Order: sequence, then C-alpha cells, then structure tokens
Amino acid sequence: VIGARTERKEDARFLVGRGQYLADHAVPGLLHVAILRSSAAHAEIRAVDTRSAAAVPGVIGVFTQTDLAAAGARRMGHLLELPGIQPLEWSVLATDRVRFVGEPIAAVVASTRAIAEDAVDLIDVDFVPLPAVIGTEAALAPDAALLYPEWGTNEFLHLDAASPGLADAIAGAPHVLHERYESHRIMGLPLEGHGAQARFDSALGELTMLASTQQPHQLRTVVAEVCGMTEASVRVIAPDTGGGFGNKQHFLREECLVAMLARITGAPVQWSEDRAEALTASVHSRPQVHEVTAAYDDDGRLLALDVAVTSDVGNPVLYFSGIGPSLVTVGALCGAYAVPEHGWTLSCVATNTCPVGAYRGFGQPQAHLTIERVMDRIAQALNIDPVEVRRRNLLPDSPRPYVAHGGARIDVGALEPHLDQLLGEFGYDEWRSRQTAARAAGRFVGVGLSVLVQGSAPTQYGVAGRFGSWEVAAVSVLPDGSVTVEVGTKSQGQGHETTLAQVAADVLGIDAARVTVRDGDTAALPYGMGSWGSRTAVMAGGAVVHAARELRAKIDVIGAHMGGTPDFSTVAAEAWWHAHRLPEGVAPGLTATVVYSPGRTIPVPNDDGHTNFDETFGAHMTAVAVEVDPVTGAVQVLDAVMVADSGTVINPAVVEGQHHGGFAQGVGNVFHEEVRYSDDGQPLCSTLVDYTIPGARESVTLRVIHRQTPSDITGGFRGAGEAAITAAPAVLASAVEDALAPLGVRIQSTRLHAHELRRLIRETGWRVDAVAFARVDA
Amino acid sequence: MSNVFETRSDAFARAVQPNVRAESVDHAVSVLAQAPEARVLAGGQSLAPMLALRLARPEVLVDVNRLPLTGIAADSGSDSGDGGGEVHLGALTRHRFLALDPVVAREAPLLAAAARHVGDAAIRNRGTLGGSLAHADPAAELPAALVASGGRVILTSQRGTRELAAADLFEGFFVTGLAPDELLTGVVVPRTGEGTGVAFEEWAPRAADFPWAGIAVTLQIDTHGTCTAVGAAACGVASVPVDLAPSLTAAGVLGAVLDDDALWPSIATHVEAACAGDDDRAELAGLLAARAVRRAWMGAMRMAAAA
Repeated sequence: VIGARTERKEDARFLVGRGQYLADHAVPGLLHVAILRSSAAHAEIRAVDTRSAAAVPGVIGVFTQTDLAAAGARRMGHLLELPGIQPLEWSVLATDRVRFVGEPIAAVVASTRAIAEDAVDLIDVDFVPLPAVIGTEAALAPDAALLYPEWGTNEFLHLDAASPGLADAIAGAPHVLHERYESHRIMGLPLEGHGAQARFDSALGELTMLASTQQPHQLRTVVAEVCGMTEASVRVIAPDTGGGFGNKQHFLREECLVAMLARITGAPVQWSEDRAEALTASVHSRPQVHEVTAAYDDDGRLLALDVAVTSDVGNPVLYFSGIGPSLVTVGALCGAYAVPEHGWTLSCVATNTCPVGAYRGFGQPQAHLTIERVMDRIAQALNIDPVEVRRRNLLPDSPRPYVAHGGARIDVGALEPHLDQLLGEFGYDEWRSRQTAARAAGRFVGVGLSVLVQGSAPTQYGVAGRFGSWEVAAVSVLPDGSVTVEVGTKSQGQGHETTLAQVAADVLGIDAARVTVRDGDTAALPYGMGSWGSRTAVMAGGAVVHAARELRAKIDVIGAHMGGTPDFSTVAAEAWWHAHRLPEGVAPGLTATVVYSPGRTIPVPNDDGHTNFDETFGAHMTAVAVEVDPVTGAVQVLDAVMVADSGTVINPAVVEGQHHGGFAQGVGNVFHEEVRYSDDGQPLCSTLVDYTIPGARESVTLRVIHRQTPSDITGGFRGAGEAAITAAPAVLASAVEDALAPLGVRIQSTRLHAHELRRLIRETGWRVDAVAFARVDA
Repeated sequence: MSNVFETRSDAFARAVQPNVRAESVDHAVSVLAQAPEARVLAGGQSLAPMLALRLARPEVLVDVNRLPLTGIAADSGSDSGDGGGEVHLGALTRHRFLALDPVVAREAPLLAAAARHVGDAAIRNRGTLGGSLAHADPAAELPAALVASGGRVILTSQRGTRELAAADLFEGFFVTGLAPDELLTGVVVPRTGEGTGVAFEEWAPRAADFPWAGIAVTLQIDTHGTCTAVGAAACGVASVPVDLAPSLTAAGVLGAVLDDDALWPSIATHVEAACAGDDDRAELAGLLAARAVRRAWMGAMRMAAAA
C-alpha cells in the first residue's frame, strides 16, 4: 500500500467545491469583526475616537486594547530564546505606537462584515508621524529612527559563528570571491486567508475556536495564554484549510483578538482575513542580503565560505518572527557541499513593514541561492563546467551521517550517482549542444543546476518557538474492522487523508479505503505539532507506523488465540465484543496512542557544541533549460527535471504534486512576485493586481523522477514538501545567467522579473533588432 | 438580540447603497438623470473589485445586465458599395461573444482579435464591450481597437441619443466624454472591406494581465499588395489610447508594399516616439507595432490570395 499511486481521497470533496473551510461554518447569531489598521508606517497614537463607529446601527461594539486588557488579555511574545536578543513583547491591539501599515489598532464587532467595515471607516485616530524605516540599510544608518528606542538600535538580534581556521583559510587561498546576493521580499499566499471563529461557553467556562491554522494545538496554547485560560479549557479546530505555506504557522494577534471578543461579547465571533489584509498585514518572507566571501583552490574546491547575512524582519511582532527562518539560513549555507572552513554572521533588523516570518522553504531558498551562485561563479572563474565544480565539492559518500559545521547530522544517500542520474534524465550534454546552436542563431538559451540537501522534520525547541520534534498519533481498529487515525499534524491540502491511510493500511495489512484519517481537532489528541518543515510524512507517518504496529501485534495475538485464520474484522469484533474470550493479559479493544520522536535532533548545543535541528535530510537535484527573450526579458522554461530522493515514497502522485506546486510557487517568486513598499512605508501591493502570482498559464512542468534512499528512521521517510520551492530561485537564477552569458549579465538577486532582466540586458548595450522582432512568426 | 440587529442593519444597508436593477433603457437613464453619482454595473469586472476595495462608493448602482443591449448586426450601408456599411454591437456584448461571433470575425475582426487578449476566460465571459469602453482603462485592449477601427459609441440619456467618435470618447485616465446622465448603449464600427488585414499584438508579464503595451492595427491593400488605408492605436502607453495612424503614415506604410524590411525599424522608431510612459513601454510599443503591421499585411495578402 505504501508506494501506491492512490487517488487522493480528499479530492472528491475539494474538486467539487464541497470542502468546508472556516467561513463555511456559519452559525446562528454569528457576529463579524473588522479591524482598523494603521495607515501610518511609523507613528505615535495620541488618541483613538470610536464614538461615531459605535453609533452605527448594527455595531455591537468597538474595542481597543484598553477593553481587551480590562477583560484580562495578556501580552504576546515571540518565544525566541537566543543570546543577546532585544526584549520584545506586544499587545493584541496596538496602543501608543504603530510600526507598520496594517498594524491592528481597534476592532469593530457587528452583525455583518460590511457594517463592521463601514464603522471602521468612522474610527478617528490621531497619529503623530515618525520617520518610517524601510530597508535594512536605512534601519542601520547611524541617524535612523528607532522602532524600539529602548533597544538603542534597530538590530533585533546579532549572532555569529566561525570555524577556527576560517580567517587563515581565506588569507591563504589562491582564489577568493566576494559577492552580494539578495533575496527579495515575497510571501506565502494561501488561497484561503487566515481566519478564526470563536465562542465562549460561560456555563462550562470553555472557549471553542475554529481557525485556519497549520498548528491547532500550538494555537490552543497561545490562545489560552493570552486569554488567561487553561489549555484544557480551550479547544481549537482547524477545518479544511485552503493552503498554509508557513504563513499559517504563525499565531496572529487577530486570532487572539477573536478569542477575547468572544469572551467579551458572549456571542460567536468571526474574523476572516480579506486579501488586502493578507497582503499587507499577515506574514511576509525572505528578504535577506548575503555578503559572501568564498575561497577556493585551482581545482575549484571550496576552501572556506564566510557569509554575512542581513535579514529584514519587518516589525518583528510575530511568533518566532523572521528569526526562525534566518537561523535556518545560516545553518544551510554550505548546502550539499563539503566546506573545510565556514563562518557566518546574522543580523536581524527591524523595519517599519509587515512582520516577516515563514514561507515554505523557511530560510533555505536564500542559503541555497548563495551556495549555488558560488558554484557557478567558481566554474566561470576557472572555466570549468559547473557540473564538475559541483561534483568536486559534493559531500563525500561516507561516512553517514556526515557531521556538518555546527553539528548537523546529514544522512542522505550517495550524492554523486544522484547527480549522474540527473544529468542523464535531463540530457545535460544534449542541452549544451542545443545551447551552442541557439547561441549561434543569436538566441539566449541557458542551463541551470541545483544540488539540494535539505533538512526535514526540524525542531528549534529551546531556540525559537515551540517546535518539538515529536508527533502524536492515535490509531483505532473499530469493531467492524474500519480504522480511524488521528494525528497531531494538520493537512492544508497536502493529501494526508490519503497518505497516512496508506501508512496505517500498509502496517495493518488492509485496504487503505478502510482507514479514515482525521486531524485538526485539539479535543482528539492531547497535543500535536502541526504540519510545516517537511515533517508530516516523517513524523506523523512514523507515529502512525508505531501505533499501527502495536495494534498489528495485538491482532496477531488475538487471531492466533482464536485459531484458524480469522479475517481482520472478525478479530476486531472479538477484541471489542468478546473481552471474556481474549487471551490472558490482553486488554479489550484495539486502540493505540503514540508519541513518537526519531530522537536525532540536538536543539540546544551538546557537550561538543553541536546542534542538529533536523531529524533527517532529503536530497533533491534539479536541472532546467530556459530561453530568455531579450526584448521583453521574459523567461521561457524549456525543460525542468528533478531527481527527488525523499526516502521511502508513500504515494508518488502526492509527492509529485508537492514538487509541482512548490516549483510553481518558486517560478512565481522569481519571475512575477515582489512585495514592495514606498520609501515612506506605504504598501504598494495590496491587491492581486499588484502582487502578481502566477496562474496556470505561467506554470511550468517539472518532470519528477523518484530516487528512493530510505532513511534509517521509522518508515524510511524523508521530507519532500519544500524541495522544489527551495531549488527554484537558485536553479532559475543559474539558468538565466547562463542564458545571458554572451552578454555578460550577472544575476545577483532573486529578481528575475521580466522588467528586471530587461534592464540588465539593456545595461549591456544590447539593442533589439526590429526586423527580426517584426518577422517572428507565430 | 441578533434578529433585532439584522433587521436594523438590512435597513441601514438599503439606505446607503441601493442597487437598482434597470428593467429598460428608459428606466436606467431615468435613474442616471436623478442620481448623478450613480455608477452603471455591467459585467462588473472592473467596478466590482473597486467596490470591494471601497475605491468606488457610488450613491446608486444601476445594474444594466437585463437590458436588451446584446445584439450584433451588420448593415450594408447607404451606398451599398464594397467596404461600406457598419457593424452595430450592443453595449452588453460580452468579450467572449466578441471573440467568437462569426459576424464580428467577418466584419469587425480587429474587435475579435483584441477581445481574445482581454483578461482570462472568466473575465471574458462576464466583461462587456460597453463596460470596457466606458471604464476607459488606458491599458485596456478594446478602447485601442475601437480607435484603430474608427468606430463610435451611442450614448443615450433622457435628453436623447447622440454619437461620439472613439477619438473623442477617451479624455484621460478613466475619464470619458460620457455625461453623468448618459448610458453607453451601443458601438458602431465600419465593416471591413475586401483586402483588409488586422492584428492585435501585446505583451504582458502574465497572460491575463493588462499589457505593458498593446497595438491594434487594421489596414487595407489593393490588388498589388499596396497599403491603401491604415488605422492603428496603442494601449498601455498613455492616459488614453494613442492613435498611431499618423505615426504609421510618417513611417511610410501608406502607399507601400509591406514586404520591405526597412519599414520595421522605421515603424518602431515612429511609434516609440508617439508613445509616452516609461521607456520600456514605448520601446515595446514600437516593436509590437512593427510586428502587428507585418502580420496585418500578411493577413490581407492571404485573404486576397484566397479570394
């Protein structure tokens, strides 16, 4: 059953519009929330006048932080535990100061959303403007306005690390390159925005919240903390979820706001994020600048890599904020390569923009861009084929695990044969021949490569947030032989109802159709970690294996005791209904709840100073061929191939879907999307006309070839979900630069938008041949 | 409690934003006459997002979707000669019909070619010809196609009916010559005669986006392949559609057999100079114009060969 290309069970309802998302859960008497958000990027609030808004017919009430605090709301925090981090806490609604356009100031509760929005327009805020700080350079300037004057700087966190021989290795190297690479600001954009609906049962003293979240149990913890309730008295249910992409890994002030408003009003209350709120006031991602120093020898082998990472974290009033991903960046800089000496600095800088946080890939795309750019630069400088440079620097095939700088235990399969398989599947030599012919014809065809080793199922517990590297699953065989699986992960569309059923069925030896998988309800399991970090197959999959194995063993015992070869459902009925006939010492029923951890991670430094944030690693290698239209700057992807090693594949179709979706997002990230601000901090992307995501016609076919090297943890699984979106910026930058090599264009950022490439091409002095352009036949 | 609030809120909603579903053109224009701040809702592909974003806050919304303004008909013209006659299109003609209708394909093919570039299929299914022209987005395809075609619009009000040439309709960014009490009810374009070729060329970062630059061209050739008439306009490069006929004439298109490679840089240069906006758009417009003229001419030649 594991390995079968089973159709996705959940598609039956999703594809015909019968999914039940947050806003589909209307209840009688439901009240709606609209939020007054700051129109100023940086300002003191002198006064908020809500009287006119409160007088609008249909308005139940207008609430500020004063009201929430009076009702017992507590402050929120980022849960970062890092040396030297600046102190930071915040309230659910802003009080005396706002630090980005979109920061919530007041909430209107009304009988309809439209009325609530009408009333929001009538709230009068007296702002005293402060200078807006946009971009890390401005934020670190000596005379910069300070977001938090008590810090004395806008630097939220500064960390560094270096191997002892780093400086000497660079000083003594025959070749040293200095480069600056930038990853631009984008965002995860789930089709369904954030949202929460809550009601407080005063008789029971219990709060029930529906929320569109990736981590229902952790949201429960946060809501309980902010509302001053026990975790046992809060229930969070995440219904069908229309995408998350890390954006919904964060707990928003708005979710806590809804919980408090439900307590205050005594009525069911709902906030459903609109697109403008999503684009300007949820979670942005990726903005980093890397100042890179790379030393290498005459053969192209890296001797040392030193990277200064500057990370724009926006106004970091967000659970783990932009720092969580930035920590992953600095841990992933060496990528798939053996680097003798390595160091980094990390400067996380607060600016007057939307908080920065998670987006699928979580800090890895930036690191991957840097190391793959370095590989290409070495190849160019030494005139060696970029494949060969990568080959010479690959992590050696033994030992396993390979212990990287800092202590990461990299457990991937052999990389060189993997690379050879990619070259064969892609037809590397043939593409080089085609490229030669294309160049002779004045066309710009290029080839790009990405060799990615990527951690999965991570923990940053004790460092950033509550990322425990464990998962909970409860598997029950019911008396009729049907099976329920409850997991603490939360599908946002990844097909867990299908894949985890396959896992349980495989172990139990039954048809997957007999298994029903449920997730997202904190009442079903004591805790769960949710879905993020390419963890669900590894962690929930492993937990389900262990729970199902426990039941399988019990079934075998009962079956043997019954004699003959009783079928599955007969044994199930025996276990529940005929307890008196069970073997001695065997308890009735067939149910098992497991808390599973592979136990590989070292979230806080051990005696060797090592940390290892990932339970296992996947290896994904990608090659693309592109053609750049020098007139428009548009890029056509001619072919894209990934040889994917995510260990044991539960369902090839589902894994391919992950790669297809991730690559589509990656294509959008570099060719179409950028979150932009004006110099005074006004968001320039508040609709999907301005934040241009790819549609079906902009998507690219990624050919996926599976290469299965089982991990040696339970099930043999490795992560898959973040591979393609991590590979995409690096591999597309590599290919575009290769295509434009005859012009000498150098790609040093993730901005591969048509207008940007067009600018770079024009800067080389290249001019359009109007005759050739006019004569192109369609 | 909630019932009380619902009742009050419904009344409140009606008071601030009544939505009139017009039952006839007379009805529609009578509402427009009474409420100068009213907005007309046709396909809603531009207005509805503006309402959702609260960028437009009309006092009254006049829904014209039920009006009988959907016909497409060609007349033979008063002189009934070759090339005479006109095509009459109802203002509620959806882009999808414009792109697929056989009469439009035969008699007003530039409108069909332009319509195929509008948005995506969902937008073309709802968006209307009259709506696009009255909205006057400078990047939109259909206004440029109307200017290139030398078409005109029919405007109706309680004061009567008048016609406005395309060139006079577009006054600025989203600004037209419609009076507040007028409804755009119809569109008229000349029937294409024998020897006509058309092309619509544009480039947009994403297929469904408004173009950076778009070029509409219609031209006519004689039996020798010589260009005898040309109409052209650009979208996306100024606050209104730019009439490119003077630029193409200056580039030497009229009176020429358009198989001369020296023409293309000349067209590109002249059109680029005629287009405002940033360099990217003007340069693209020039190049696209060269390509569009060549394609239109090849189309005319193919048609002539087939005839």
